[in-house]
This record gives sequence, structure tokens and C-alpha cells, in this order.
Amino acid sequence: MLIGKGAEAYIYLEEMFGRKLIIKERKKKEYRVEPLDSILRAQRTKREAKVLYLINKNNIPAPRLIAVSKFSIYMEYIDGNILRDIEITNELIGYAGSYLDKLHEINIAHGDYTPANLIYSKGKLFIIDFGLSQITNNIEEKAYDLLLMKRSISKELFSIFLDYYDKNKNKGIIERMQEIEKRGRYMIRTLA
Amino acid sequence: MLVIGIESSAHTFGVGIVSDSKILANEKEMYPIKDKGMIPSKVAMFHIKNFSKVIKRALEKANIKIRDIDGISYTMGPGMGPSLQVGELVAKTLAKELKVPIVPVNHAMGHIEIAKHFGNLNDPIALYVSGGNSQIIKKFENRYRVIGETLDIGIGNLFDNFAREAKLVPAWGSTVAKLAEKGKFIEMPYTVKGMDFAFTGLLTYSKKLIGKVPLEDICFSLQETAFSMVCEATERALLLTNTKELCVCGGVAQSKRLKEMLSKIAKENNIKFGYAPDEYNADNGAMIAYVGEKLLKCGISKNVEECSIKQRYRIEDAIIC
Repeated sequence: MLIGKGAEAYIYLEEMFGRKLIIKERKKKEYRVEPLDSILRAQRTKREAKVLYLINKNNIPAPRLIAVSKFSIYMEYIDGNILRDIEITNELIGYAGSYLDKLHEINIAHGDYTPANLIYSKGKLFIIDFGLSQITNNIEEKAYDLLLMKRSISKELFSIFLDYYDKNKNKGIIERMQEIEKRGRYMIRTLA
Repeated sequence: MLVIGIESSAHTFGVGIVSDSKILANEKEMYPIKDKGMIPSKVAMFHIKNFSKVIKRALEKANIKIRDIDGISYTMGPGMGPSLQVGELVAKTLAKELKVPIVPVNHAMGHIEIAKHFGNLNDPIALYVSGGNSQIIKKFENRYRVIGETLDIGIGNLFDNFAREAKLVPAWGSTVAKLAEKGKFIEMPYTVKGMDFAFTGLLTYSKKLIGKVPLEDICFSLQETAFSMVCEATERALLLTNTKELCVCGGVAQSKRLKEMLSKIAKENNIKFGYAPDEYNADNGAMIAYVGEKLLKCGISKNVEECSIKQRYRIEDAIIC
């Protein structure tokens, strides 16, 4: 059953062996030429699976990886609400901050770390959608995670987010975020 | 209301005349670009030599006299300082002489509004692609906001810069497009971050390939990769903001291939897609007149003494009603 359609993938909820699971399939994009389309889809599927594997290994709350094919990832289904759609409490944004700290510690930049990619389920927060994630120790990429979150939530919430992200340890990354913001072309923008 | 609009942000000196959102004239003269691109002071000299001719032509085309004009608008920015100053000066002089209200206009807004006008759109996501700019823009209340953009150079500059290195003839974007027709795909750096994108990696990579693989293949791959990047970011922006309308505008919007790709995205997502005819995607005075009239009708105008230019005038800082 198709339950979601992102910019690059279709999300299916299926039942296999009595277990609910999510299949994320990267669909062909008609606007892209071959082989660019296949290259991007295969690369991203592989990269995302690898990231998910690393995240599972490090016990960071996220769906469990079940299997991978050329353009599809099979993973655990998490039944809950997207953080964007519910009231973001200080506690929840604190978790979001500490999770990002853990991600960055194992050198993963999420790439799209916003309340749209966090799910609240049974009292616990989970990170989802590693479609744009990278395995990297590049400060710039990590700073970009902060910037995206900053754009998506209120000032007050972001300040709490940073407290839990560990301001002191990640000082360099926070400074880089401020630097990116200051670059001539860049402006903070928050989606209404 | 009869409004004359003056555009001089880059190599085009354009004069448009608009009455009740109807375009009566859209005349222009373009500084001839050679291999070195634009030298700001020379472009400004070109504008100085040509402005009166273009104004006269526009008045003739609209079949009106200069005294009939009710209001004046001009491009305040973004753009090259010396060129912008010529337009500003012409507009101020006219406003003083004719004793009519004057209003500065943001160049990007001109492109977006004219695309909305021709595409018959109310509240679209706008993909604004030109030489120096590549932005994804959406209106929130009475301001436009950039929700995605290039993190380094504009997409037009990407093509220009590559084409100069490959010793192609101007206009570079269309020369690259022409060569691309016969090309095969080579994998190149592809950089999209959320709704932002970056082109310098792609530029460096394609420059390095010059002389090693057929030029047609580089052009094809460069164009496909760059367009795919902005298309991906645009599609994401559409879905994230749940917007049902899309327009493309700016000089690079003249590309047939880009419009074809965007129309596929629109079709797939059930989105209404529109754009202006090519002469209004290239820099022009009509779009400045068009926005000028809108602003003046809302009572937004400036004293001549307050009028200025701003080379880095962001669309977020401009009010629309």
C-alpha cells in the first residue's frame, strides 16, 4: 500500500511474515535522462542503506534496516506522528538535538534534519529519511544540518535544540553554521 | 494607469510601457557580449548611448506621448552598479520632468510577476534562473521568500564560464544547448542539499574534460546534470510547501529543455505550470513597468530624492502588494 510520496521515493507499507514493514523505492524520474536517473537512484539507495546500517549499529533511534535491493530499501515500520504535525515540546526538541549530536559523532550528516523527518512513537522519538545523508566528517555538511533545523523551528526551540546538541563539544560546527549564514548569498529562511 | 518601466541591471537596456496590466511596448538594446563577458563600465556607457533611442521606440510602439505617462518604475537591483545607475538616473530625470510618481522595483520580482501574468498563476513556486541568480521562491503574505538557492554561482554563469573556457561563441547558454543535442551522458558531480544546490564542482569537472572527450558529450552532461539539480530542488519545494502552481522565469528559462523537464514534474504531481514568452524571460523593461504599476496602484511610491540602487537587493527585502 502506497502511504507516502516524497520528492524522490515512494513509501509503501506492506506486511510480510506477519510483520509490518516499510519499502522505500526510488522511482524513475521522467525528467531525468538515463543513465543519470539510474545512477542517482542506485547511489542513493546504497548510501542510504549504509547509513541506516551504521545508525542501527550505534543504537541511534531509527527504523531497523531489513533488506536492500537496487532501488529499494526494506525497513522496520514505526507507527507514530511526524514531529512537524504535532506540538514540538522542549523535551522532544531536546531529544532531536541529542540525536543529531550522536549522528555527527559517528560522522553522519543527515542532510535534511527537520521536524518533517522525526517521528514520535510510543513516547520515543525516531529519526527517519536518510535519503540525503552522507558519511562524512566535513564540518560544513554537519553545520548544514543545524541550519536546516534552525530554519524550521522557532528561535526558542532552536536554542534548546543546541543545548542538547552539546554546544561546547560541537562549538566548531555551530560557528560554521553562523559563518554559512553570513555568507553574502545566504539568508535564514523559515518555511511558514 | 500608464506606467513606463526601465530595466538596466545587466547588459540589457529595456523600456516597457504598461497600462492596466496590459503590455503596450517592450523595447530593448543589448550590449554585445564578446569573449570577455561584461565589463561594467563599458556596459554603462552602452546604456547611456542607447537609452533615449529605446525610450523613443517604446513610446512609438505604445503610440503614446511621453506626457501621457502617469508613473515611472526602474530596476533598483540586484545587478551591476554602473548599469543600474544609468537606469536610475533616467527614471529620476523623467519623474522630475514629468512630475509623476516613481517606484523602484526588485529585478527578480519583475521576472516572477511577469511569468505569473503570462502563465495565469496566482501563488506559484517560482524557479528563477539567470546568469547570476538561481533561486526557488515562494510568496508568504506580502513578501517573497527564497526557500532554495544556489550556494555558489548562478546556473547561467555555470554555462557561460564553461563555454568561455571551451572557446564557444556567445550567447553561451544556447550554444551549449545546441551542442548538447548530439551528446552522450557522462557522470558528473551532482550537488543538491535539500532545496539548495551548488554548481562549482560541476563547473570544475566539466572544464577539466575539455579536449579529452567530445565537447558535445560535455555540453549534454553539464546541461542535464545542472538542470536535473534545480529540478530536483524545485520538486522538493513544491511537495514540501504543498504548492499546486509552478513557474519558471529569468534568462535561463528560455531553455526548451528546462521547460520540458519542469513540465514533466508538473504533470506527474498534478501541478499547473506556466512561464512567459522568451522576450520576457530575457531581461526587459515590461516586467519592471508591470510590477511598477502594481505597486503604484497600491500607493507605494518614493520621493525622487529617496530613490537609489542596491547591487545586492534581495527579493526578501522588497514589498509587493
